[in-house]
Amino acid sequence: MIVKPKIGIFGLTGCSGEQIVILNCEDELLDIAGAVDIRAFHTATSDNDEEGPLDIAFVEGSVVKPEEVELLKKIRKRAKLLVAIGTCATCGGIPAMHNELAREELCKAVYGGNGDCFETIPPQPLRTFVKVDYAISGCPMEKEDFLRAIPMLLHGDLPLLPNYAVCTECKMRENECLLVTRGQLCLGPLTQAGCNARCPGYGVACCGCRGPVDEANVASEVKILQEKGFTLVDVHNALRTFAAPAQALQAELVRGKNE
Amino acid sequence: MSTSIVIDHLCRIEGHGGIIVEIKNGKATRVHMDILEGTRFFEALLKGRIYSEVPAIVSRICSICSGVHTITSQLAVEDAFGVKVSRQTTLLRDLFLQGGNIESHALHVFCLALPDYLGYSGAIAMAADHPDKVKLGLELKKIGNTVQEVVGGRAVHPVNTVVGGFGKVPSAAELRELRAQLVAGMDLAQKAVDFMATLETPRFTESPTVYAALRPADGSFSLVGEQICLSTGEVFPTHDYRKVCNEFVVKHSHSKHSMYKGQPFMVGALARLMINGKALTGKAKEAAERLGLNTFTENIFHNNTAQVVELVYSLEHSIALIDELLQAGIKQEKPAAVELRAGQGTGAAEAPRGILYHSYSFDDKGRLTSADVIAPTSQNAANIEKDMRVAVERLASEPKEVLAHKLEMVARAYDPCLSCSVHLVDLGNG
Repeated sequence: MIVKPKIGIFGLTGCSGEQIVILNCEDELLDIAGAVDIRAFHTATSDNDEEGPLDIAFVEGSVVKPEEVELLKKIRKRAKLLVAIGTCATCGGIPAMHNELAREELCKAVYGGNGDCFETIPPQPLRTFVKVDYAISGCPMEKEDFLRAIPMLLHGDLPLLPNYAVCTECKMRENECLLVTRGQLCLGPLTQAGCNARCPGYGVACCGCRGPVDEANVASEVKILQEKGFTLVDVHNALRTFAAPAQALQAELVRGKNE
Repeated sequence: MSTSIVIDHLCRIEGHGGIIVEIKNGKATRVHMDILEGTRFFEALLKGRIYSEVPAIVSRICSICSGVHTITSQLAVEDAFGVKVSRQTTLLRDLFLQGGNIESHALHVFCLALPDYLGYSGAIAMAADHPDKVKLGLELKKIGNTVQEVVGGRAVHPVNTVVGGFGKVPSAAELRELRAQLVAGMDLAQKAVDFMATLETPRFTESPTVYAALRPADGSFSLVGEQICLSTGEVFPTHDYRKVCNEFVVKHSHSKHSMYKGQPFMVGALARLMINGKALTGKAKEAAERLGLNTFTENIFHNNTAQVVELVYSLEHSIALIDELLQAGIKQEKPAAVELRAGQGTGAAEAPRGILYHSYSFDDKGRLTSADVIAPTSQNAANIEKDMRVAVERLASEPKEVLAHKLEMVARAYDPCLSCSVHLVDLGNG
């Protein structure tokens, strides 16, 4: 009897976008389910194994509660490979946009006097707490990135992701440059490619939802945007939207705060 | 004699939550659906943002209904600045919302709820014995996603829908191709109706229920509308949504609860059918008659049946929308211009799970100063607990495991979306 690889799909705090992207693989879902042994997937099944070993754990969402830190560590212990899926898991995502604000104050603002009963910590990506073996970014991740990764991960390989910016993909599509010719606040030059320049393809500026590309020249982009007339506040708001905890952006955000 | 039922993790719903029930001498002394989704404090993320950034940020409240969050947000922004969009934009938005409705209902009925009816832990386990049912659901779901991709640029977190219109208008050829898929979908939806007609609907939660749904000025069956209609006969303009949703914080849940005149109420597919069902036409009307939803029901399990009727409606209506778009001649047009002014605006639309409200205030530079988002599951939360209480008291003598499973079924019947329910935004004008 063939022993199928054991997979777990987990969600921390987020919009469940990555789990929905997996469920949106309508043509492939039953094949995937046949090729692996899905041990945990709370959104799709009531039959979940909470303890046993896993070959791969896919984890989406950011960590915003103390018990999520514990859950994440437990998943890490169970799994040979831990794969962060989606920008919340890889870069903190939208929930981490304003980690400089005090959580207690936010609680009070939303829940009033009853807010003090909810435990919450500043949202963080998974790598703050555990070793992450592989990361698929995106808000949400591209279905193709997931489908390509599955067989390679099962064979013990870590698939390569593009190490160039969305700008490059935009050029390959021969799109009009929204930053240069239309003067829009486009984060294409800084953002990890892999979406085939999805938004600029619709004439909509890149909002940086896949997080910063390696060696992103953040200072230069900020300078260009300021020259185009955008205020530092607006540029920083755009930068911090999806990946504020990312190192490349943190340096700029801290600099901006000190200026 | 007292006993308690604790379900730590509700499965096959979107998000994180549990159920705690305490029973004493056959009476439910405590019935809590705990919504324990981590807090994300969207209000802090929105404050000070330029109006054009707001819809993309709020779409991240939820993935399944990111489309309707985006559109409702755009409606609220446009209301605040007095922006009038073109007829073409209105039709395309309607089409986009129908795509979300198809995707969400197909996912819920076939992958999340149906396993309860047939005795499986989930769709994947069910696929071993009933591959045709699961494939039927997945095929319908895919059509809904294709609509969202063609019109919105992506199935989750759309990129092409912007304030005032669309980044790029789909071409006539793309719409014709989509139409062919929708026509094929009508046959699939008919199969879904035939199958649903064979299932027996559980009745253990039947109890008096107040429904609320939107209605447009022309009285048609729609996912948008300017009026909130209640099954009590009362009607409010959408701007007065706070008169219907009197939100308050409950200690056991990260989601606020809503009550109308001190009583829980229900929103969603069943509420839409009970309030506007008479306006259905064509195959959708036939489906409602066939499935017995042309008469008033207070059985929440009929929500799954209502979702099947709406699958037919959304497919049929999508085809009609495309026909109108093609007949008028689809044209590339720029989004309507926005003239900034200080103001306040409200948007409302029917998400798959019920009415969704977004309301914002902006300063004269177009920066957001306050926001309020009320999602359908937070409106339904009190009603879910009401139905669980009814179930507990009717089934108190059943073994604990059986009762626990039935309580999960009650929660699932509402198709709750816990990510949406907890990430309310409420600042400034609360």
